[in-house]
Amino acid sequence: MKQAERIAPAPQGAAAAKRSTTVPQPRPQPHIVISDLVVKYHAYTAVHGVSFEVPKGEHLTLLGPSGCGKTTTLRSIAGLEQPFSGEIVIDGEPVFSSRRRINVPTEKRGVSMVFQSYAIWPHMSVFENVAYGLRVRKMPTEAMRAAVEKSLDLVQMKRYADRPAAQLSGGQQQRVALARAIAFEPSVILFDEPLSNLDAKLRGEMRVELKDLQRTLGISSVYVTHDQEEAFAISDRVVIMNEGRIEQIGSPRDIYDRPRNSFVADFVGSANLIKGQVEGSPSADGNFLFRTADGLTLKAFSPRPPRGNETQVAIRTAYIGVGATAVSQANRIEGRVARRMFHGDFVQYLIDWSPGQLVVRRPPAEIIEEGEDVIIAFEAEHCVLLEAESA
Amino acid sequence: MAVQAIDDGDVAPVRRGMGPTSQGIITAIILLICGALVIYPLFFLFAESLNIGDPQTFPPETIGFGNYADMLFDWRIIGNTLKVALFSTGIAVTIGFILAWILTRTEIPGRAILERLMEIPFYVTPLVGALSWSILAAPQSGFLNQAWAYLGGSGSIVDIYTPMGVAWVMALFEGSVAFVMISAAMKSMDPALEEGSRVLGASKLRTMLRVTLPLVAPGVLGAAIFVFAEMLGSFAAALVLGIPGHFYVITTAIWELTLSYPPDYGRASALGISLFVIMFITLAAYRWLVSKGAYSTISGKAFRPRRMEMGRWTWVLAAFCWLYVLVSVLLPLGALLLTSFQRFATVLMHQAQFTMQNYVTAFSLASIRDAIVNSLVLGVGTASIGVFVMVLLVWIIYRSRLPGAGVIEYVIMFPQAVPRMVFGLAILWAWLNMPVSLYGTLWLLGIGYFTVLLPLGVRTLAGVVLQVDKSLEECARVCGASWTHQLRTVTLPLLKPGILAAWLLLFIASVRELGVSIYLMGPNSKVIAPAIVSSWSSAGTELTAAMAVIQTLTIFICVMLMFWATARLTNQGKST
Repeated sequence: MKQAERIAPAPQGAAAAKRSTTVPQPRPQPHIVISDLVVKYHAYTAVHGVSFEVPKGEHLTLLGPSGCGKTTTLRSIAGLEQPFSGEIVIDGEPVFSSRRRINVPTEKRGVSMVFQSYAIWPHMSVFENVAYGLRVRKMPTEAMRAAVEKSLDLVQMKRYADRPAAQLSGGQQQRVALARAIAFEPSVILFDEPLSNLDAKLRGEMRVELKDLQRTLGISSVYVTHDQEEAFAISDRVVIMNEGRIEQIGSPRDIYDRPRNSFVADFVGSANLIKGQVEGSPSADGNFLFRTADGLTLKAFSPRPPRGNETQVAIRTAYIGVGATAVSQANRIEGRVARRMFHGDFVQYLIDWSPGQLVVRRPPAEIIEEGEDVIIAFEAEHCVLLEAESA
Repeated sequence: MAVQAIDDGDVAPVRRGMGPTSQGIITAIILLICGALVIYPLFFLFAESLNIGDPQTFPPETIGFGNYADMLFDWRIIGNTLKVALFSTGIAVTIGFILAWILTRTEIPGRAILERLMEIPFYVTPLVGALSWSILAAPQSGFLNQAWAYLGGSGSIVDIYTPMGVAWVMALFEGSVAFVMISAAMKSMDPALEEGSRVLGASKLRTMLRVTLPLVAPGVLGAAIFVFAEMLGSFAAALVLGIPGHFYVITTAIWELTLSYPPDYGRASALGISLFVIMFITLAAYRWLVSKGAYSTISGKAFRPRRMEMGRWTWVLAAFCWLYVLVSVLLPLGALLLTSFQRFATVLMHQAQFTMQNYVTAFSLASIRDAIVNSLVLGVGTASIGVFVMVLLVWIIYRSRLPGAGVIEYVIMFPQAVPRMVFGLAILWAWLNMPVSLYGTLWLLGIGYFTVLLPLGVRTLAGVVLQVDKSLEECARVCGASWTHQLRTVTLPLLKPGILAAWLLLFIASVRELGVSIYLMGPNSKVIAPAIVSSWSSAGTELTAAMAVIQTLTIFICVMLMFWATARLTNQGKST
């Protein structure tokens, strides 16, 4: 099993089962609890026993390459997929449980969702689209009108209320979809790659707006994306998924700085993976020595006690100093610049050093010529020990 | 969006405190009814085919394979059927291929209008086609022979009451089907494959023979097999043109067996089951060919067609297209229209006596007027109920993820493999032996129409339903709508133009229906197509022509409306 942050099964105690509202909760319950979720399509298993929880008001993102099971997991929370086994609890109430034979239909789960394709109904006006969830809930006309206006206002689409939805641009449809999702004041919003159909500039703006909206409303949300920049920019925590399993759960900073294994190090950001083995035992602060395959000794760091079977460390390309910026005293090694590629926002160097070739990214302000002999340096805490691959 | 109520397996989830969902109940009812409508008659037909005792009793008292053994005596009929089917398939596919190539690959004047005209033979019923051609080419009295005699020729130059005549008429009207299928294959072929051949120095003819033809060969083969299956089960042309010359194919033999006294239902059923088996195997071969990916050289995406300039050949090619339009549309419908306004059918204008009497008779004679009214009522009823049930069926088959949806699809598509009139016979048997007496009522006709039109309706509506993005529906559920509310507020409104087109298609199919109607109509529930047949054999050509014109006109008006609805659908698709 790869899951380090394996979560204990959701509390099945009397309080949860009886869901009595008068008894005060001893401690704040997580808003959404997913335990041991398995989703199968015939013989193919899309999700292999995934568990995580979302505290109230948190913005959690499922991040992974396509086909990793992130969308399937999200749709299972919405009730649009029927899981094979496991349990999903929202607000302390199980909405799906294979053991207790519960499957609450989508419309009774009280969650909201923004779809990748926006799913704006072309046969209705903008107003009617947003009002849909309120009409279903039989809200009185006046209150409904006010609620629709309020949410359209939040996404700055108030003046488009009477437009036929089919005439909106992609970005406007995105905003209407958002307004519709928040109009009936759900406690949970699910986002299925909502920005992936927008162009890069608009996507950047919408990210900021989403984050603001999220803060204003204080809603818990689960967000699916394959774009790690997007995931990092807007999330409180990120769940990295791969082939139907969770690889790592943590804050964006945590995942970037301390990738748990080579998949995370490779998929998120860019990193150099260096083979070798642990030498001696680590000190109390997690520092230890790592001997590379060619005999170089690096000062490295491990967020967990090493097991001894680890064979790789990861060094982020952005954390390596070269030449004038090689200021760290922990690891200082000689190398030679083999290639330089100018990318605009950064310059990528390929540097020959004894374990092979090292990829380094530096800001374009400092330029080093190809063929120059340089010193490369990085901190021990940026040379992170990765867990061994499980068979 | 799983169906909660009828899920199997160990995780069958239940909604707390609520019984089965409305979705589950509706699904179960629809599936039971449709399954029974399709399977039950065939079961009766099969049972009857084993009846070697008194053919009038059911269930059979003596069971055996005697009726099947008797077919050996019918070998000439089986031979006739295969001969006509093969011959007409050959002509139809050749016509279809040449037309498809001209209209998708070459630049000819009036292409847009020709493409539209090519669809018309498909909407002229085979019955009306056969009638028109008998007006045109009956020995002596046929218009072509009249003109020939007037110009001094002796004898008849054409005789449509021959096996060749039957095959010719069938081929003309199925040619349109072959054209549609083959041109679809050609449109999905990358024109660069042909341009490559031209760049390397091959002539246009060589390119067509060495590149185009081999590449679309699987498509052509598929069309040939499909058309062949249709020919096997076709009835109208052989009925109108074959019987006067005592030329029988399986379908008309079944008809004769059931009309004779005493009717030999056992033998008719055995022939019907055999025809069904042959057609089923043929269609299975077609499906296999399609699914095997024989089209792998042709990708699924549509390419922008690039057409060749044909120089002086342009006019030859255009003439070929117009010739097809002439013999399949203009001549037959012209002859029909002319005859319907005459006292005695003639093409020689100085002898013609024009009159409106035929139309006056058609609308005033109670039996004919009733047939027209009944057909319209049945058309509206079948189309309205049909569309409603079929939309639900499509949704269940393609969207619900119900286990076994594939099996349901197979059952629903089953009537396609059963020749119409064989199915009519089967339904007749099934309902004669039912405690509820529906025979002789419009209800039985309605049930029959609905059953045999299931494949057409479900296929048409599937195309419409699958165009609608699934998340539009899912979003409604997430917003809190129940399944029925979602259907009412999102699915159905989005499907409106498509549903209108499907409604019209079902209406047209009902109004032109012959094979099932001929068995299921009673003295008080006459419908138009069989009424035309009986008027043809008992009353005059002129009155029959007027009835055929009325039927054809009704259909054409609906076709126009359908094109309009489809155009609206495509426009809506563009704007979303």
